[in-house]
Amino acid sequence: MTDFDWQPLLLTLRLATVTTLLLLILGIPIAGWLAHSRFRLKPVVEAVISLPLVLPPSVLGFYFLLAFSPTSFLGGLLQSWFNVRLLFTFEGLVAASLFYSLPFMVHPIQAGLENLPVSLKEASYTLGKSRRQTLFRVLLPNIKPSLLTGIVLSFAHTIGEFGLVLMIGGNLPGQTRVASVAIYDEVELLHYETANAYSLLLLAVSFGILLAVYAINKRWVTF
Amino acid sequence: MPTIQLRAWMPLQFATGPGDLQVDLTFETGSLTGLYGPSGSGKTTLLRILAGLATPQAGFLSVDGEVWLDTERRIDRPAQQRRVGMVFQDAALFPNMTVLENVRYATENKRDDMVDELLELAGLQGLAGRKPATLSGGQRQRVALIRALARRPGLLLLDEPFSALDRETRQQLLADLVRLHRRFGTTTLLVSHQQEEIFRTADRLVEMEQGRVRFNGTPTSLPGRSDQAVSGTIVGMHTGKEGSEVTIGLDGTTVVIKAETPPAHWREGEKLSVWTEKKREE
Repeated sequence: MTDFDWQPLLLTLRLATVTTLLLLILGIPIAGWLAHSRFRLKPVVEAVISLPLVLPPSVLGFYFLLAFSPTSFLGGLLQSWFNVRLLFTFEGLVAASLFYSLPFMVHPIQAGLENLPVSLKEASYTLGKSRRQTLFRVLLPNIKPSLLTGIVLSFAHTIGEFGLVLMIGGNLPGQTRVASVAIYDEVELLHYETANAYSLLLLAVSFGILLAVYAINKRWVTF
Repeated sequence: MPTIQLRAWMPLQFATGPGDLQVDLTFETGSLTGLYGPSGSGKTTLLRILAGLATPQAGFLSVDGEVWLDTERRIDRPAQQRRVGMVFQDAALFPNMTVLENVRYATENKRDDMVDELLELAGLQGLAGRKPATLSGGQRQRVALIRALARRPGLLLLDEPFSALDRETRQQLLADLVRLHRRFGTTTLLVSHQQEEIFRTADRLVEMEQGRVRFNGTPTSLPGRSDQAVSGTIVGMHTGKEGSEVTIGLDGTTVVIKAETPPAHWREGEKLSVWTEKKREE
């Protein structure tokens, strides 16, 4: 097991953590809007958010590849204005992961908000509290299990990313060589032992996270 | 006399098909009005319009001289900026907060003496640290009531708050409501299915049917227990040594009731809702 290296695992965890934190900040307002909006084009927005659920990651990866390329409009703009390069970089992986895991954050929170009795929100309004105060002090604290589900699913889904990473990230150690890519690589080189070490660790981490979530959620359901 | 004036029109869906809500009502400040009628007749919508949770197509609402709603002038104060207290059918207590935190949530600052006073008035000090899920239905509604009062509302709105409770609890809560209503001098509107109960407590009754006000007047009761209400008008009053004899005209018949001290506003032509064994027919 000469080639075993902690870097791909740490990179995977870093990618999943950054993505999940950003998704939490993005996902709550989006889910809040979807749960209460009567906007006519809402189904379009919902469909776009859910796209990563059905599209092969390689399709997403392909279009990200085109969009992030320095010769494209978006890629060129980012490059010349902000000096940001998204192709074959960690930042690029985060950007793609945000879109790729968005439904896993938005759906549970949206469902949680929709399942709360409307009277909670209305009671808070009649007690003089703003939408914002209502969201943070009444609505979100009462959907903790949904929030936790969103966080864990986004995290786990980002850990499991493979096709997308391969398309736009490649295999640069410390930048884009995440655990799933490392496993694939080691198998190609017939380093089954190293591949097994990565795989076992991923398996253990994933199982541990899910176990903790179910245990915590069980306690929260009975307030 | 400061009053609450409400005029509202809006389309509404009834069990029988589409229709509309059309009301023109005035409530005296400090009064307790009972609102009754079949379900789906627009009672809850009326409360929601008052609270700012629903906006009528056309309407006007002024409370003690302040205009809260005027669709012509595009005035529509959001619920947050109306001094209302609303008690919902399901109590709508926040499950993540204790009883004390629920009541405190309604106040502007944390150290509000009114919170303690309200908890004491409702006999809830012992439950201050409990979460709503551990309370009985009656206790929950009592918390919802004092939480609404903690906002110091000019207008207290109750949407069938007692409908899911047993008779004994209901009557106890109703007595508490009347006590608190008088104590704080709020203008109170109580929607109820239990006509019999609001007949006993309300100063004024409003009956709704298919989005219209069918009856708007003073309640009284005829001797004898019963559960049916009929509307009537005072057609004659005779005051003698032993009190007053009031003749009330009901659909094609008249009933005379004796009242030792009839309310000052009773006079000929005044509408009354009478609570009687059954509709008498000639």
